[in-house]
Amino acid sequence: MIREQPISFNTVPMKERLTIQRQSMPEQDPNIRNGNFLEVNLGLTPAQAVLEAQRCIECKKPTCMDGCPVNIKIPDFIQLICNQDFIGAAQKIKEDNSLPAICGRVCPQESQCEEVCVMGRRFEPVAIGRLERFVADYAMNNSNGAADSFQKPEPSSQKVAIVGSGPAGLAVASDLAKEGHAVTIFEALHEFGGVLVYGIPEFRLPKAILRKEVATLEAVGVKFVKNFIVGRTMTIQELMHEEGFDAVFLGLGAGLPRFMNIPGENLNGVYSANEFLTRSNLMRGYDFPEWDTPLYRAKHAIIVGGGNTAMDAVRTAKRLGAEEASIVYRRSEEEMPARNEEIHHAKEEGVKFMNLVNPIEFIGDDQGSVVAARCLRMELGEPDESGRRRPVPMQDSEFIMDVDMVVIAVGNGSNPLISQTTPEIETNKWGNIVADEDGRTSMEGVFAGGDIVSGGATVILAMGAGRKAAIAMNQYLKAKVGSFA
Amino acid sequence: MNLKEQFNSMEMDDILLMCIHQEQQAIELYTLAKNQAKNENSRQKFQELIEMETVHKVALQNFEIEHYIDLPPADLKVTDYLMEPVLSGNMTTQEIIILAAKREDKTAKMYQDLADHFATEKELNTFFQMMADEELRHKHNLETEYENEFLQEG
Ligand SMILES: Cc1cc2nc3c(=O)[nH]c(=O)nc-3n(C[C@H](O)[C@H](O)[C@H](O)COP(=O)(O)OP(=O)(O)OC[C@H]3O[C@@H](n4cnc5c(N)ncnc54)[C@H](O)[C@@H]3O)c2cc1C
Repeated sequence: MIREQPISFNTVPMKERLTIQRQSMPEQDPNIRNGNFLEVNLGLTPAQAVLEAQRCIECKKPTCMDGCPVNIKIPDFIQLICNQDFIGAAQKIKEDNSLPAICGRVCPQESQCEEVCVMGRRFEPVAIGRLERFVADYAMNNSNGAADSFQKPEPSSQKVAIVGSGPAGLAVASDLAKEGHAVTIFEALHEFGGVLVYGIPEFRLPKAILRKEVATLEAVGVKFVKNFIVGRTMTIQELMHEEGFDAVFLGLGAGLPRFMNIPGENLNGVYSANEFLTRSNLMRGYDFPEWDTPLYRAKHAIIVGGGNTAMDAVRTAKRLGAEEASIVYRRSEEEMPARNEEIHHAKEEGVKFMNLVNPIEFIGDDQGSVVAARCLRMELGEPDESGRRRPVPMQDSEFIMDVDMVVIAVGNGSNPLISQTTPEIETNKWGNIVADEDGRTSMEGVFAGGDIVSGGATVILAMGAGRKAAIAMNQYLKAKVGSFA
Repeated sequence: MNLKEQFNSMEMDDILLMCIHQEQQAIELYTLAKNQAKNENSRQKFQELIEMETVHKVALQNFEIEHYIDLPPADLKVTDYLMEPVLSGNMTTQEIIILAAKREDKTAKMYQDLADHFATEKELNTFFQMMADEELRHKHNLETEYENEFLQEG
């Protein structure tokens, strides 16, 4: 299908566009921000946003859209920015992405839309993520809800239960509420947002944004129920047969921390990244003693891993007052799955990187507290199927270093609670729920999407899976009514 | 007396019997775990391991050489430093893989010792070397699976 080119509002001649520098986003000074939890990035100014948008060369075949997992109409919203119609631009993004203020902050744009931006072949790519963030924030602060407004539909008389309030669940809720269904979100924790609240720290994603998203959904009639663990408080069968929910969406995430299975992981001072970040973010450990969640201020904190979770944990440890905070990673920096921006920010903030090092034991004192880590140095061997070179231990490379806090950030698995209480729902050998392209599970009326299906992935993919499932759920619900009629 | 010394006082038939016994023990352990396993996925994983060990046992019984021609891949040592989980019915897939990789490693060492022991007897040396390589190949596969699933550090 040939895409219609959006109306151009870019008044800058083509040649001049190439000379405009990519606009850098103002940030807090690294030496100040590593002692506070305020947001690091401060966002583009309106003038910067227009200038950045004017760098777009309006390709006939916009590869940026193919680079986006949910195919946001990037060229269209960029033209609206050129026209200074920031709220219109935000609405354009919202056609495909219900959480732009969040994705603008946390999406790995450098390996998605910006990676394939044609400008990037010779110059720097258009800063699509920064523009997305700018218009989303602008609309949130200036539109009085206009960017989210929609014609209230006729109520459908059908009830939908959404389990989990992460990006997958929120996306489903938004789309099904727009169809007139009565939507209730059940969340195990005492705040809504999934990893966006308990995992990603305030300095990267202010929680106020999420509260606004939740408030927007509440305003359109979505009910939020907290401290409700489906599978324990009530099973899926009970929700459907006793509470009368016509369909259920499972957006449970991958919240079960994985450990390394090496000696000493149960010592005091060794945390899973999940526990550590939850204590800091959700239980406001960083506000101690205002909030009663003590978190240890370490002399030397090591964080094992190289993903976004590890970066979030190490930067949190630094902000909590660790004298030294280090990343310990089995591979080299090139193989790190964390976003480049996070690695760059962590380094600026004084985080040390010990790459090609693998802990094999944590050593405790007689009180049972961790005091040291026994490690091996690694070297890179043959590449694996994905092309990442595999780390192998170097001979006679063992060494011991003093540490008084360890955070394990090697990944998460799925919680077995639902599969244990609802065996009708098929899971794979890793415990992930098996669902088709549209999120249908093996149990009638039950859909699933996000990390619980894919394993740990990204916010935009979880949201995209939620939106696909919402379409299928809407069809299912309509067919159900049809069959009654 | 360690295993290497034991070989000196054993007849070839006894050695083969010992190896078959070793593989049989693994089959029995995995069968026990499979029968106790609380979920279908673990049962499947144990079944795969039983089939793998059965192939080894048959190879020993038939003294088959021609099956194994490839050189073993690099030893990733991913599970070498991990704690050995206790075999039980409610093991996680992660624990099952660690346990199996560690067993493959131990058995590979036994076959390697046997290959070294028969260094001057070409046929036996080749046979045990191939059995050792085969165990290492399985260890490699298990560790690759482990790495792909449990060490993505995402
Ligand atoms: C520390 C960290 C940093 C990350 N950084 C980034 C990043 O920068 N960019 C990016 O794109 N991705 C990032 N990710 C990944 C991203 O956050 C996830 O892929 C995404 O949140 C998955 O969304 P989800 O809706 O599937 O699940 P989640 O966000 O995990 O939400 C699931 C929700 O379900 C609830 N729940 C679970 N079981 C039950 C139950 N039985 N009953 C009721 N409620 C239940 C949970 O409490 C949780 O609130 C990061 C992940 C982590 C852990």
